[in-house]
Amino acid sequence: MTSDTNWLHTALEVLSTEAGWRYAPQGPLACEPAALAALALAGHGRLDAARSACDWLLAQQGSDGSVGVYTGQAQPGWPTGWALLAWHAWQRGTASRHFQQAIDRAAAYLLAWEGKPLPRTPEMGHNTMLVGWPWVEHTHSWSEPTAINVLALRGVGQGRHARVQEGITLLIDRLLPRGGCNYGNTVVLGQELRPHVQPTGLVLLALARQPTADPRVAASLDWLHSAVHERLAAGPLAYALLGLAAHDRLPREWAAWLPGAAARVCARSWGRHVLALLALAALAERSPLVGVLEGSER
Amino acid sequence: MKHLCDRRGRGAMDRRAVLVGACATAAAGAAVLPWLRDRQGKVPVFLARHQRYDGSLERTIRDGLLATGLEPEGLRGKRVLLKPNMVEPSRLAPHMTTHPAVLLAAAEVFRGWGARVVVGEAPGHVRDTELALEESGLGEALAAAKLEFADLNYDEVVWVKNQSRVSPLAGLYLPRTVAEADLVVSLPKLKTHHWVGVTLSLKNMYGTLPGIMYGWPKNVLHHAGIPETVIDINAALPPTVAVIDGIVGMEGDGPIMGTPKRMGIIAVGTNLTALDATCTRVMGFNPQAVRYLELARGRLGPIEDEQIVQRGERWQAVRAVFQILDREHLRPLRTPEPGVLTS
Repeated sequence: MTSDTNWLHTALEVLSTEAGWRYAPQGPLACEPAALAALALAGHGRLDAARSACDWLLAQQGSDGSVGVYTGQAQPGWPTGWALLAWHAWQRGTASRHFQQAIDRAAAYLLAWEGKPLPRTPEMGHNTMLVGWPWVEHTHSWSEPTAINVLALRGVGQGRHARVQEGITLLIDRLLPRGGCNYGNTVVLGQELRPHVQPTGLVLLALARQPTADPRVAASLDWLHSAVHERLAAGPLAYALLGLAAHDRLPREWAAWLPGAAARVCARSWGRHVLALLALAALAERSPLVGVLEGSER
Repeated sequence: MKHLCDRRGRGAMDRRAVLVGACATAAAGAAVLPWLRDRQGKVPVFLARHQRYDGSLERTIRDGLLATGLEPEGLRGKRVLLKPNMVEPSRLAPHMTTHPAVLLAAAEVFRGWGARVVVGEAPGHVRDTELALEESGLGEALAAAKLEFADLNYDEVVWVKNQSRVSPLAGLYLPRTVAEADLVVSLPKLKTHHWVGVTLSLKNMYGTLPGIMYGWPKNVLHHAGIPETVIDINAALPPTVAVIDGIVGMEGDGPIMGTPKRMGIIAVGTNLTALDATCTRVMGFNPQAVRYLELARGRLGPIEDEQIVQRGERWQAVRAVFQILDREHLRPLRTPEPGVLTS
């Protein structure tokens, strides 16, 4: 899988405890890191450890189905899609329906949660009327939350839902004319903006196995393939590899890049959730984030 | 995990009084927070020209802070947060982000005064902070100087009541690293901004708010009004000072896609409103046409030229007109400021 799997063993050990469910070692337990840890653990077959993280996420779910950022912090609900993906991955690994009620409530929450459309103006290049998902309630739709929730909802069989279809349309609309995307703006006041690796990887992951003739998707894959390299920051590297894996476009040397990236994450006191992303990337096309799309086109 | 933490009242004033302005008096009738003036009733701003990234920036910054009323003896053992600008770093556009040399020089100044220095930022358009640090060149500089870094986008949050209520937001989530700082040092670039005209030390404070609560971009703030939330954020922060990197600024389509503007200036102030108003004049714009400066006037500080005293260079001596997009909402920036001589 990689040229040096020691980092992966260490990472999975960290993710198996609450120490791996935080953005920073001294920070509070947080839902996005916990969900990513559960996904990574489930993907690597550590289902008991994944169950602990899934149980903790279940305890964070609000009465409306949402999952907030931290314990007791019900809003914003953007981590809900990650939690849904984590529960789903654990159920796939165990052939269980233990978290089905939580999944259904989370899916219902996501389907009811809409980004705020804005009147179209010549200043903005994207279609501001399309509705996807925002980061925070009562704000505009952006690429990354839309990609997370499209992926989650496709995974639980909602790929044909009108919200998901519009989300896919939005993700393609936010791709830059020459490929790639950023947080979700394309052209502002007549100026085309720059692409970023991390959102491009995540968006391409969400668009995988989704037939489209739009040339921006192929251009984005080409751009991402050219932009990924060994010294890329660990988070964008992980998202890029997941996006490329979902489209069978992984660069030949990719596995050798992960130990160095993991070492950089372990050496710092912040951004520790990225360790789970690297563990997911190490699974390539076998990652639950890619596997969740199996049969989703039906 | 909502922390009801009213830290912006009397305590904040006391902390500021400790740090800034031996000869100062609070402005009477200030709507939100008092600011501090010299004996003539004016707010000092410091400008230095002929500055270079490989020059004696530490001395310039130290001189500027002392000239504008900072009392370094009050800083020993205090937590000082340095806040550079890394909104969307790119190696293709180094003029977009605070130069590492300015950050390191500021860090050495405060370390020299015995402060505990932390660098923190919550990049507005980039979820991965490692990437932001690498692209900006700041990561390498932090490591070389053994400076602690706080990723403000993902920090534990503290809720504070929005005391100024210029925007409709009832409160603000601040990263704990920000809320517990004794002094926050804004380290922005001298840049145009295609929506609000200019982005300087006040607007740079957008990057103190956490993405986990506001998104990427911090769209909650946009919907609540950019000028209005600039005021609310600055009113909610601990005491602040600023050092503006104007050695190479950005003109045209700032704050991301603009072109380099070589100015060679460092601007320093202990009142961010007065400092930003002065730098707006340096850029050839009318500060009264910058909505958030107009809102800041009387709340956070003065913007009128006659209420600001220039230390170091006079702004007229370093003025160089910045290009800006030819858009209707930006045209008022070019309107002459009544009664102000530009040369």
